[in-house]
Formats: sequence, structure tokens, C-alpha cells
Amino acid sequence: MGRRKHAPGTRTAGALVAVIAALVAAGCSSSSSTPSSGGSATATASGTAASTSQCGTKPGVKATGTPIPLGAIATNQPGTSFTDIPNMAAAYFACVNANGGINGHPIKLYIQTEQTNPAQIAADAKQLVQTDHVVGIVGNTSILECTINHSYWEKLGYFVVDSGIAPECYSTPNSAAVNMGPRYSSDGAVQYALSQHVSKVVFDQSNVPGTGYIAAGPAALAAAAHTPIVQLTENVPISDANSVAIKEVDDAGPNGAVILNFTPPEALVILQAAQKLGLEDRVKLWGCSTPCNTDFLAQALGPKWNHKLFVNAELTPPDVTSTPKMALYKAILAQYGKSVSGGVGSFSQMGFAEAEIMVHALQAVTGAYTVASVNTALKAVKDFDTGMLCQGWTYGGYPMHIPNNVDYTTTPDNGKMVTAQGCTAISPADPQIAAYRKVAGTG
Amino acid sequence: MPSWQDFEPFIVSGLALGGVYALSGVGTVVLYRATGVVYLAFGAVGAMGALIAWSLTNAGTPDWLAWLVCVLFSGAVTLAYGIVFGPPLARRDPLVKAVATLGLTLILFGLMDLLWTTNGGQSRAITLPTDNGGFTIGQVQVTWTQVIGLAAGVGIVVVTTVFLRYTKLGTAMRAMANDREITATLGVPVRRVEAAAWLGCGVIAGVAGLLLADLVALDATTLTFLVISSLAAALIARLRSIVATFLAAMAIGLIHDLLTPIQSLSNYRDMTPFVLAAVALLVLSRHRVMTASREEA
Amino acid sequence: MLDIAGRTAAARQRSPLRRPGRRALIRAGVVVVLFLFVLLALPQLLSLYYIDAMTQVVVYSVVTLGLGVLVGRVGLVSLGQVAVLAIGAWVAARLLFATTQPYPLVLLEAGVITMVLGTLIGLPALRLRGLYLALITLMLAGAITVVLTTTNFPNGGHGLLGYNGATVHIPAIRRPAIAESDPAYYRYAVVVAALMFLLVLAHIRTRPGRAWAAIRQSEPAALAAGINTWLYKLWAFALVSFITGVAGGVLAGAVHYLYSINFPTQDSITLLAVVLMGGAYSLWGAVIAALLLQLLPALLNNWGVSADWLTILFGIGVLQVLLTAPRGLADQVPKDLARLGRLLRRRIRRPAPPEGDPA
Repeated sequence: MGRRKHAPGTRTAGALVAVIAALVAAGCSSSSSTPSSGGSATATASGTAASTSQCGTKPGVKATGTPIPLGAIATNQPGTSFTDIPNMAAAYFACVNANGGINGHPIKLYIQTEQTNPAQIAADAKQLVQTDHVVGIVGNTSILECTINHSYWEKLGYFVVDSGIAPECYSTPNSAAVNMGPRYSSDGAVQYALSQHVSKVVFDQSNVPGTGYIAAGPAALAAAAHTPIVQLTENVPISDANSVAIKEVDDAGPNGAVILNFTPPEALVILQAAQKLGLEDRVKLWGCSTPCNTDFLAQALGPKWNHKLFVNAELTPPDVTSTPKMALYKAILAQYGKSVSGGVGSFSQMGFAEAEIMVHALQAVTGAYTVASVNTALKAVKDFDTGMLCQGWTYGGYPMHIPNNVDYTTTPDNGKMVTAQGCTAISPADPQIAAYRKVAGTG
Repeated sequence: MPSWQDFEPFIVSGLALGGVYALSGVGTVVLYRATGVVYLAFGAVGAMGALIAWSLTNAGTPDWLAWLVCVLFSGAVTLAYGIVFGPPLARRDPLVKAVATLGLTLILFGLMDLLWTTNGGQSRAITLPTDNGGFTIGQVQVTWTQVIGLAAGVGIVVVTTVFLRYTKLGTAMRAMANDREITATLGVPVRRVEAAAWLGCGVIAGVAGLLLADLVALDATTLTFLVISSLAAALIARLRSIVATFLAAMAIGLIHDLLTPIQSLSNYRDMTPFVLAAVALLVLSRHRVMTASREEA
Repeated sequence: MLDIAGRTAAARQRSPLRRPGRRALIRAGVVVVLFLFVLLALPQLLSLYYIDAMTQVVVYSVVTLGLGVLVGRVGLVSLGQVAVLAIGAWVAARLLFATTQPYPLVLLEAGVITMVLGTLIGLPALRLRGLYLALITLMLAGAITVVLTTTNFPNGGHGLLGYNGATVHIPAIRRPAIAESDPAYYRYAVVVAALMFLLVLAHIRTRPGRAWAAIRQSEPAALAAGINTWLYKLWAFALVSFITGVAGGVLAGAVHYLYSINFPTQDSITLLAVVLMGGAYSLWGAVIAALLLQLLPALLNNWGVSADWLTILFGIGVLQVLLTAPRGLADQVPKDLARLGRLLRRRIRRPAPPEGDPA
């Protein structure tokens, strides 16, 4: 045991000094995150280039001016990855850069990923602002980011365009989302069930931050329809889907509806458990918020769920729509979207819409591209047609933002999601929806 | 308080869950009885095998071949670990050996997330052909896969107990777990016996991985750390008896699901394995000090 | 009967007085200079991104210190330290929302309450040893995590739990008035962490430290020597719970928002991995472990490298440490540097025969 206690201490101190020196070196150097410009932009055939060239103002002309730096923060951890959304935005910007840019200036999108760690999320925002000097934030998709950073954005005057999840993405002045988020999407699913005259609603959601906020929406809708509602939460990841499915079905009863608000893997596990237990016909209908709106889920579920599961869809179904903007979206995805792993689907649609809005705002900027000029232009976006939503998208100078509040309902049909109900406005029985429509003057 | 009718379907699902915990828990203990190592990487190895099988099936490989690759992969990784890290750590405390398998768990977990990224909106699932058939008990359907899961758990318990007690190789394994040095001096080919134990456990991990991926979810995090919950069953059996582990696992699964309809406790039911294990350990140790020393293995 | 205290005192008297004195002074001087640099100069040199990361390093260095004391000094492996940190953060958050007490008082209360809870939980568990102790701490941590997931962290609501699930505007956890900005709070955290380190150092240098060393060496022998092993093990649990509770309080102010998803049970496994890699015995090892745990991910995130590589690295690190360097990097790196130093010195003095270098 004769360990000398003195010498190692001094040597260790030396090692620690070396570490701190390295740290200071890293901190001093302008360490900006590697910008991800969605995939190689080498157009193979002129045919492909032509169909994407509508994204920019000068087809075929590469932008070579000083770059306009923008930033995005997205969750990327085992089990949850939203990087497809900013990656798709980056793909759109790559297309714009190859076709004239913004008055000749290319856009550079700095993407920071985080693992739902509040300190990290706050640090990411500071990195984007102080080291990367971004003039706008577009493409944020994070479980916690709106809560953590909204005061920071408000203090600095950034008006964020994001895909919201946390309550603050919809209830603060400096965040406007292209999607509806868990609460309003669940509203849509519950609303459809109520329209089918079910006698009881069971609303089950994953136990992640904000369950009370999310549950308040369906609760208000059910109260307005004088229908009893049972609120449940499940710890995720779900290790025992059987008991979850049995509980939901028992609580709903034969004329009731079970509405789920989970990520696709968890929702799939519950629905498959219900099917294996033979329970899928024991309730009047099943519903799901927008994450379930993927063809992949339709395929995985199989024909037993045709027209039995009704999913709220916050974006225009890509498979059955053939507008020019939808074609552009698919073309950009094919040509520039190598890093968008989910392909055609709601994630890349959201990224496309957000990038569109940002480009539209940037094109309205006269003069220098600063934080003030870019964000003033963003705030001024009004009734912009993204081609992905039911109605025009508005930012506005309101204290809260729910610009996407009119949605579809889809249902699986032999491996594909088809429309069950066209654009329907979310009921103002949800007090937040009513409040937004009042301030926005659309109520 | 819910009625008997409310509880009934949860008994069936509880037994199914117990089967899940049993598969995972028994596999961990089996290796402990044979080599003195609590194989905490059991879940991770099986999960990776299941993901490989999924990739192969997606690429068009026939199902049976994909499953075979899964089992072989798990066996190979476990065997490799056992051969490389078994002998150097053999003389160390069981705690050190268990923590070393945690190292393997972290490596596999990181690899799985790198190779099978979570892309937006997609989710993976393994379906076995036995999912589509079954029979009805009361109001709920039981699939053949669940029956196989339960049967596999029972089978592993029976086979390993018989194997360890009555065969020459099994006796050699038990002797080695007890005291490696003396067993070596008795002329038992220690390394080969050890390798056989590791390979056997790896194969079990592969089979369990496939079944659990079907019964629970094909998700790396869930499957890897399911081992923590099923450790509870192993701890109730004090890491000694495989049969006790199995019974404890069934009890945990039953109690977990039976708590579901009780409103006030429903949200806390995920605590069941941990609370039961902690209580059992504390009760069992109230008269003496418990150490997982070599003599106890 | 062995008299541990007597032995050490006699040994100290036998050794020469001058040499250790000067060496100890130099060592203390280096530590003070390093501390002042970290406290005063570092925040000026780093961007806010890295200051935030370093604040996390400081907080977790106290947690790794605690685990290092348990694992390295006493020989108890606890796989539940993240749950203890969560409890400390919970208590601090509740107090910060519900009262207007000054920050140091809140930190102290968080530490004491966590200490009481940790000791109560540790009491029955102390009958177990080795692997069983490690596994039961894992079980207890799993139970606490499930409870936290269901009760959530306080967010300004009323009632015992202080959680308002329906709010659309979650208030931020306050910081002390003198340390509102990030660099100021970083310095505050450094001071608090330094106090925790001093507290642990005081324990190590006095009777508890010697008792722990005896227990780690051989518990039956320590018992035979007349040491009340049960009391000292409980004392270790209490001390570690206290400092981890205080660290939880500092964490609450650092992040402003607490979520149960940030304290998963599997993080305790990663914590053990980095403590082993950094060196469980040495106090410097705790700092290295915290750097591995919180600074490396921040660096990798900035360079666009996936955090999964870090998980793999930790797994390899655990295996490497257990196989070759039981004392971890804190012991290994200095040894390697010393070897390098000796090699260089021999090269420089090549004509003359090498002096008697310390081996």
C-alpha cells in the first residue's frame, strides 16, 4: 500500500493545466458548428435542375455574395431525431443558393443538435448568436427549446420560425410554428371523434414535459360537447403495451374513442398490441395526433386498421396533391435532400415550409441583412401560401402564435394514408385557439 | 376498487409480461451460475442481433436466415467478450466483472444508435409469423408468440438447471464459477468450459432478443435497459437460483399489470420491479450480511 | 490490536520534515493558481457556449467527486447518484419557487435534506456488500426515477409538489442576485464546488479518511481493528449525499428548467464509467471525469460528431480501466507524462550519466 501521495498530485496538476490550455484554445478559436448544406448539389441532368430552379429568382446562377447566416436547433438523441426538418430547410437553401440566392447572397444554415439537456440547449442558442452571428432562426424542432430559449430570443429580437412541441412555441410572441404541435393536433383528433358522436373519449399521451398543457385542449373540447373524457399518461418508452391497450379499451367502452398522442414508434406498439389482443374492434374508433400520419405506419399496421384509425394531419397529404409547390418540394428533396433520411413525409414538409417562409421574408429585405431587418421582415409575413398547409401562414406582431389551425384527417387504407376529411378548422372550444383567433383577427 | 372482471384481462397480460422479464432475467443469471459474471450486456447483445435481423429481412433475406444470423451474432459477440475479457478478470470481485459487462453494454448501445439511426417518422418492428395466430382467454387474445416467449423462459430454466446439475460440462461450469483455480488444477479444461458457457449464454441472448423485439419493441434503448428491470427478478433470487428468478419474474409481471386498473397506483406501476427487489433484498439480508463472494456462486 | 491513527502519526514523525513541507507548499501553490485561473480568467477567455458547458462540468465534478469517494475511498459502488442529484435539484427548485430565501441557504437546505434522505435510504442497504449493494442502489434509483417522472419537477405551481402541468408559461428557476449572468453564475458554481472539495478533503485527511482506507483494504480486518465500519460507511453516504444535494441545487439555477427526462437511470452507468476512467481515488480524477462527461459532448456537438462515439469511448474506457489501470486516468496520464519526462531528461543529459531519477 506504500503509495506515494505527493508526486502524483503535482503531475496530475500538470496534466490538468494541459487540458485547460486545450480548452481555452478551443474556446478562443471561432468554433462554429459545421454547417450542413443538405447533400451534394451537383445536378446530373439538366431536366432535374430545371424542375428545382423555381426555388430561386435567377435559375442556374450560383450565389456568390457574402453569406446570410441562419441558425437551427434540433433534438437528436437515441429514439428521437428531428434533424430531418432543418436538414430539409438546408436542402431548400442549397437550391436557392444554386439559383440566384437572395439578391446574390447565399444562405448558410448552422444546425445545432441537442439531447434534451437544458444547459446544452441554452448553450446552443448562444453559440449560434455569439459565435456564428446568425441573423435569423428557422427550423427549430425540439422538445424543450422554446421553453428554455424564448426569453433569450425575446431579449435579442429574434422571431423564430419553428416546428413547435413545447407550450412556449405557441404562447410567446417570438415563436411561430408551421405545425400545430401536440395540443392542437390532439384537439383535431378528438374533434373528429366527437364529430362521429362517440359517447366517451379516452385521451392517452406520453409522459413528457407539458402533459397538463396538452391535455387541457381535448378536455375543453370534450366539455363543450358534453362528452366524458378520461385522461391517461404512459411512461415512455413503453415496455408493456398490452396493459396500456387493455386499459384504454376498457375505459373507452364499446361506443367510445381512444385518442393517442405518442411518437410513431410508441403509437405503433400500442396499436399493434391492441390488434394482437383482438381489441381493435372493441371501441367505436381510434384516433391519433399528427405523428401517426406516415405511410410507414399504415404499412406496419396492416389492413385491419383500414378506416378504423383516424389521424389528424397538420400538413397537406403529399401523395394525393399535385400542385407546383408540392412538385417542387419532391424535386428538391430528390436533388438536394441526401441528409433527409425520412424522405417524403411531414418532417421534410415542415422543413420545406419553414425554409419557404424564411426565403420569402429575406426577399422582402432591402438593404443590409441584419438581425433587425431580417426579423422585421419575418414578422411582416402575412397569408403566405406555403403549399403545405390548409391556409395562408401569418407571423404578425401578436403575443401568441398558432398560425396553423386548420387541418385534415387521414386514415390508413391498404398501406397508405388517405384523406378522410378535408380542411377543418380546429374548434375554438380550446381557449388558446379562441384567444389566438381573437388577436389575429381571424376569429 | 376495480372488480374482478376488470382485473381478469390484466392477469393474462401480466403473465405475458412476466414471461418477458423471465427471458431477460434468467439469461443474466444463467451465466452467473456458470462463470460468476452478471451479464448486464444481455439486453444490448440481443437488441443488436434483432436489429441486424431486421436489416437483413428488409434487404430481402428469408426470415429464418435472418433469425439465425441474429442468434449467431449474439453468440459470437458474447463468446468473443468472454474469451478476451473473461480470463483477465476471472480473479476479480463479481462486482468488477459485472461493471466490465457494463462497458460492453455502452459500446454496443453507442454502435446501435450510430448504425440504426432514428430517422424522422420511421419506426422499426419485427413480426414473427406466430403473431397472427392465437387463442382467447376470457376477453383477450393470446398470440402464439407470447406462448413461445413463456415457453422459452420455462425451457431455458429447465434445460440449464438440468444441464448444470447432471452433465459433466455443467458440473465443470459450476465448479469453475465456485473456484477457478482449484478447478483448473483438477484438470478441467477451464478456458474451453468457459467458452462454452459464454457461447451458450450468447445464443440465449440472441433468441431472447428476437422474442423481446417482437413482444416489447424493436428499440435499442428499451431492449438494452430492460435488463435493469429484469435484474430485479434476479436479485430477488439473490442471483442464486434460476428457478427462483423465473418465478420472481412472473410475480413482477403479474403485479405490474394488476396495478394498471387501480387509478391511484397506475402511474407508479413501473416501479414494481425496483420496489419488489429492494424490499426482498432488505428482508432477506436482515439476519446476515450478503456478499456475492465466490463461495456463493 | 492495530491502531490506525497511531501508525500514521508515527510514520509522519519518522519522515524528514523539510522535503514534504516544500513539496506540499508547491503543490498547494499550483492548486491555488489553477483555481484562480479557472475562477477569474477562464470566463473571460471562453465564449458563452463553453462557459455554459464549463458550468455543467463544475456541477458534475462535485457529483463525480462524491461517487469517487464512495468507489475509490470506501469501496462502495453506488449506481444511484443521478437519482440523488435529482432529489437535490428537486428540493432546491421547490424552495427557490416557494420562498425568497437567499441562495446559499437554499443550497444548504438542499444538501441537508438530500443528506437525510440519502442516509435513510443507505441505512438498510449497508447490510449488503459489493455487487448486491451496487445492484440495490440501481433498483432504488430506478424507483426514484419513476416517482420523479410521475410527480415531475417543481415549476412554480402550488401544493406540496409545486408542479403545474397545464401552464403555458413555465417560470424559470431563479439565480442569486449577484450571479444572474452566465459568467457570474459560473464563478458562483466554482466557489461552491471548491467548498465541497475542501469539505471532502477535510474528511479524507482526518479520521474518517483513515477509517475508509481501512474499510476499503479489508472490511473484516477493519472491524477487527475496532473501527465502527457501519458508522463510517454511513458517514460516507451522508457526506456524498450532502455534496450531491448541493450540486443539485447549483444545477437547478444553472439550467433554469428541470425535467425528469434529464435524470434517467442509465446515466448512473455513464457516471460510473467516467469516474472509473478519470480515477476514483484521486480528487483530480473527479475533475477529469466531469470534463469527460460534460465538456467532451459539448466539443463533439460543436464539431458535428455524434454523441454516440462518446458512449462507445466510455464503454472502451471502462474495460480498459478495469483491465489495466484500476486507478484511472488521473493516475495513468501522470505516469505516462512522467515516463515521457524521464525520457526527455535522459536525452538532454546524454553525455553525463543519468542522475538518480525518481522511478
